[in-house]
Amino acid sequence: METLTNLVIHGLLYGGMCAILAVGFALIFGVAKIVNMAHTAFYMVASFIIFIGVSRVGLPVWLASLVSILLTCLLSVICYKLFFERVKHHETAVMIISVALAMLFQEIFLLIFGGHYHGIPALVKGFMDLGVVRISYKNLFALGFSLITLLGLWLLLSKTRLGIAIRSVAQDREVANLVGININHIYMITMGISAGLAAVAGAIVAPIFMVHPLMWMQPLVMVLAAVVLGGLGSIKGAVIAALILGFAESLVIFLIPDGSFLRGAVSLAVMVVVLVIRPEGLYGVVFEEERL
Amino acid sequence: MEDVILEIEGLSKSFGGLQAVSDVSFSIGRNEIVGLIGPNGAGKSTTIRLISGILKPSSGTVRFKGKNITDKPVWDIVNMGLASTFQVVKPFRQLPVAANVMVACLCPRAKRHGEWVKTVELRARDALEFAGIADLALEPASVLSHGDLKRLELARAIATEPELLLLDEPFGGLNPAETSMIARSLKRLHKGGRFGRLHSEGPAMLIVEHKLADLMPILDRVVVINFGRILAVGTPEEIVNNPAVIEAYLGKEVGNLVSGS
Repeated sequence: METLTNLVIHGLLYGGMCAILAVGFALIFGVAKIVNMAHTAFYMVASFIIFIGVSRVGLPVWLASLVSILLTCLLSVICYKLFFERVKHHETAVMIISVALAMLFQEIFLLIFGGHYHGIPALVKGFMDLGVVRISYKNLFALGFSLITLLGLWLLLSKTRLGIAIRSVAQDREVANLVGININHIYMITMGISAGLAAVAGAIVAPIFMVHPLMWMQPLVMVLAAVVLGGLGSIKGAVIAALILGFAESLVIFLIPDGSFLRGAVSLAVMVVVLVIRPEGLYGVVFEEERL
Repeated sequence: MEDVILEIEGLSKSFGGLQAVSDVSFSIGRNEIVGLIGPNGAGKSTTIRLISGILKPSSGTVRFKGKNITDKPVWDIVNMGLASTFQVVKPFRQLPVAANVMVACLCPRAKRHGEWVKTVELRARDALEFAGIADLALEPASVLSHGDLKRLELARAIATEPELLLLDEPFGGLNPAETSMIARSLKRLHKGGRFGRLHSEGPAMLIVEHKLADLMPILDRVVVINFGRILAVGTPEEIVNNPAVIEAYLGKEVGNLVSGS
């Protein structure tokens, strides 16, 4: 019973965090066709900014998290203007630049902080005793915050003017251009929102897991798998797929405690199987229809 | 001539070895509806695409409200007040009809600061009502018939509150009843005024069309092009009696074009 409860909590927590990351990745891919391999690097950068804010500047965790989200958004917009904007129609060039950026961020933090693991104090302390199992408040908070973030994104995309403009550019950038939407502006804003989501995931994860310069690689595998499973560019698909993979990876950790390094392999296996059997994923558009 | 809104000078466009538009020059007055007619492949649609900024000319200039817009991006031109509809209708297929028009209401020219979606939605509905498809507002655009798509495109164009409308075959694929309805709507739009929450400046229009019987009665002036060059410019009466135009395009059965019967 205890194992099962822990499994559910860990699955929801990890799946929720990955859902936020995957949604951000799917968003910028769906809108600007940018395969941003540096997406999870922004999550790493955000975690480090919180770490710096808390341990070096002495800010409270909540303030450091807020600053980190804002700075990460700003960094992503600067990266878009400096690197992505000029080559945005060359998908391969965009992908190569994003990999280079991710490696650059990683090396910068390795140079400054070394390859050590760093901890951040939790925003909320204590735990809830349910008899058979204890659930820490920081986990509950992280879970709640994940849900609120996803709900906020849904509201933004479906209920605001900016959201409708973003969705229209995602569907047909040429037509959006023809009705007076500045697609470059929308790409830039979407890049900021996407990196902001990665930063939120970083703020959620930083107090729970450890912060280190290579922390972006494992989630990147998961995010790629989730986006392929959910259907390329589908936000709903990315959320559901991330939750499925979150549970699958948690299951591996709980069933084979010594083989927890295998959890990345689960995501990769799912990605390969989906690509072979159902390339459009759960909610993706069939490739032939997409061209219409 | 009256106050000029659009001036085209020496506009040329070649695709490889093919000269699609060659040294085309004409202007449109602020209160005019001008027809751009000619045989298939004459360069009418290319001219429209050059004016709207989708294609960049090999040479020549396009001036809108006195400003050179030749090298401006399409969205910027739309925001200056020049909207276009196209021969092949391209809606946002997965968005509802209302959202298709709402997108147009979002362009900086059309939006009013402080508005939330509800207000934009109401303005989009007014545009749809004007175009006669308000009852389809919640349907996805992918289920619309060709005629309804044409009307959707018209609604989308007027939602940007343009001062000049470029219409590429607005009657194409429509039955006679739909055609006369759209023709009446265009005339009404040109008169200007308020349509619900939308304000029409009484836009000038440049219309490319083959259905001359429906088109001629609403035109002030006609530009005829053939093989990418201007063949004739004049009032509808002058054009239907122009021997060169009859020879190249109209043929001999032109008697009722101007009266519209």
